[in-house]
Amino acid sequence: MDTASANDFDIRDYLRVELLPHFMCPGCGHGIALRALLWAVHDLKLAKDRLAIVSGIGCSGRVGAYIDANTFHVTHGRPLAFATGLALARPDLEVIVITGDGDCLAIGGNHLIHACRRNLHLTCLMFNNEIYGMTGGQVSPTTADDRLTTTTPYGNAEPSFDACALAAAAGASFVGRGMTLQTVALKNLIRDAISHRGFSFVEVISDCTEIFGRKNDLGSSPEMILRQKGSMKPDTYGNVVDRPFRPNAVQTGVLARNDRPEYGDAYRAAVLGAAGAAVAG
Amino acid sequence: MNVEHRPAVPTNVLIVGVGGQGVIMVSKVLASLCQQAGLEVKQSEVHGMAKRGGSVFSHVRFGETVLSPMIAHGEADIMVALEWAEGLRWLDYLKRDGGTFIADTQQIVPPVSFRNRRRGARSGYAPATPAEVIDLVGNGFALDATRMAAGLGNERVANTVLLGALSTALPFPREGWLGVLDGLVPPKTTEVNRRAFDAGREWVQNFDRPAEQAAAAVAVPVSGDGLDHRLEITEAWCKGCDICVKMCPERCLTLNARHIVELTDPAACTACRLCEWLCPDFAIRVLTASAPAPALAK
Ligand SMILES: Cc1ncc(C[n+]2csc(CCOP(=O)(O)OP(=O)(O)O)c2C)c(N)n1
Ligand code: SF4
Ligand code: SF4
Ligand code: SF4
Ligand SMILES: [Mg+2]
Repeated sequence: MDTASANDFDIRDYLRVELLPHFMCPGCGHGIALRALLWAVHDLKLAKDRLAIVSGIGCSGRVGAYIDANTFHVTHGRPLAFATGLALARPDLEVIVITGDGDCLAIGGNHLIHACRRNLHLTCLMFNNEIYGMTGGQVSPTTADDRLTTTTPYGNAEPSFDACALAAAAGASFVGRGMTLQTVALKNLIRDAISHRGFSFVEVISDCTEIFGRKNDLGSSPEMILRQKGSMKPDTYGNVVDRPFRPNAVQTGVLARNDRPEYGDAYRAAVLGAAGAAVAG
Repeated sequence: MNVEHRPAVPTNVLIVGVGGQGVIMVSKVLASLCQQAGLEVKQSEVHGMAKRGGSVFSHVRFGETVLSPMIAHGEADIMVALEWAEGLRWLDYLKRDGGTFIADTQQIVPPVSFRNRRRGARSGYAPATPAEVIDLVGNGFALDATRMAAGLGNERVANTVLLGALSTALPFPREGWLGVLDGLVPPKTTEVNRRAFDAGREWVQNFDRPAEQAAAAVAVPVSGDGLDHRLEITEAWCKGCDICVKMCPERCLTLNARHIVELTDPAACTACRLCEWLCPDFAIRVLTASAPAPALAK
């Protein structure tokens, strides 16, 4: 598939331009993640009428409001629950969830594991910025060791979740991780996740420049996004080059994939089968 | 004190600002004045903490009879904003036709809204110019009340400057306002408050609409690889985060004095699109319409 020459993609075709500039802080990675999503939608030639975005609460969840499609901005932690109902009732829609690390793994953690287990055709994009950005910077389940947040003023002592490992263990049939620095790769990953029939989980490494960045003295916005490169696990480099990057190596790309039965189909077969049997009997 | 003006429908005045500016003082003066005039008054206030700066507001409703203490959306006859962006935040409370907007143009900018962390950097907070906003509301006054107050020797009387501006929009006599004001401010500041009140009043009476400023959109031809591309910048969306500037492999972008991106070396730009992809605010678009697909494409 082409990447660099996608000249026909004008992001404004997919945005509620009258709402721009968006509310996000300068340099916030969520804007780049939004571009990757809309670009993937464009690549897939998905009609906007068929697209349903369900988002939770957080800076990540607010992103959904700028998309010119069917959008649902629901309660904190519950986008997967709403999306499940929507996808079951309207299998003709392509349902995509936008959630944050707090929304998805803290308050919404239970919904996540059961969505993974069920394997309903949904795509869940979790924008991971290691913090509760919207509420001013509290610790989240993905905050790394020793990081400073408003609720860990002496450094975070809790071990963090590896969201992708969690999703894979809970049964998600497509699991991937991408970062905003690699916009094109991220777009391709999201495109593949949407195309996958079943529950797809994508973790997007994003930067909260204004709160996480400031608290932890991570430098300016460009310095922060460049740090993603340092945290990436290089698969093409030799040992000498990648050694300095080892401690916080993060693997990107498709991390797990299988083609087990999709829940919507199974559900409809069971329910319609039973209803048919009841009518016949 | 007597007022002929006794409308059956209550008059709604919404006063907004951030903590510590004296929103409540302005609403107290107004409410007491209405009470003295024998009108029924209801006042309700909230001093909550929004995420980005503490937002404070006060609803004042007065008339022959007033039932609800709250002003509904689009029902404020007059809105007084002690802080510019707070005024914009509440703008949808103002009556669409005939509502009067009175605001201090000074911004109290929360640190999170800075475009750039360099010393002296400009913020991206409430970028619309006062002229644009006044044009939008139709009936409005945007004055630099804080600077006027500072000129009188005490920045803290900016609220009284706005009170003076408000007084021109209501049917109470100047002496009535000053009488209530005298009773509410600390005795030491009576004199400066009186002068601030008159300064605001006179400002509105001598008001001249400032000239409009239009925001420009720029599309510049670029030619780094010998082809005919264009790079389009939507200035109004750029937040000056500096990502494109630092990530451009050819170093052709810079932030200008307003901390907005500018293509300063179009001859070097190869239309690689990195800036477009990494801009979190969709402020850059690279157009390669007239070019054959680059080698990368397949
Ligand atoms: C039921 C409920 N609890 C708490 C909140 C407050 N709250 C709003 S956003 C948020 C966390 C958001 O963090 P995350 O999902 O990581 O999103 P980010 O802002 O970092 O993108 C919380 C706790 C809420 N809105 N609703
Ligand atoms: S608070 Fe953090 S996550 Fe939220 S918009 Fe600002 S930079 Fe982005
Ligand atoms: S298209 Fe590439 S070379 Fe041109 S300004 Fe953007 S980043 Fe620089
Ligand atoms: S154009 Fe975009 S990336 Fe560049 S400084 Fe402005 S907001 Fe940042
Ligand atoms: Mg978060």
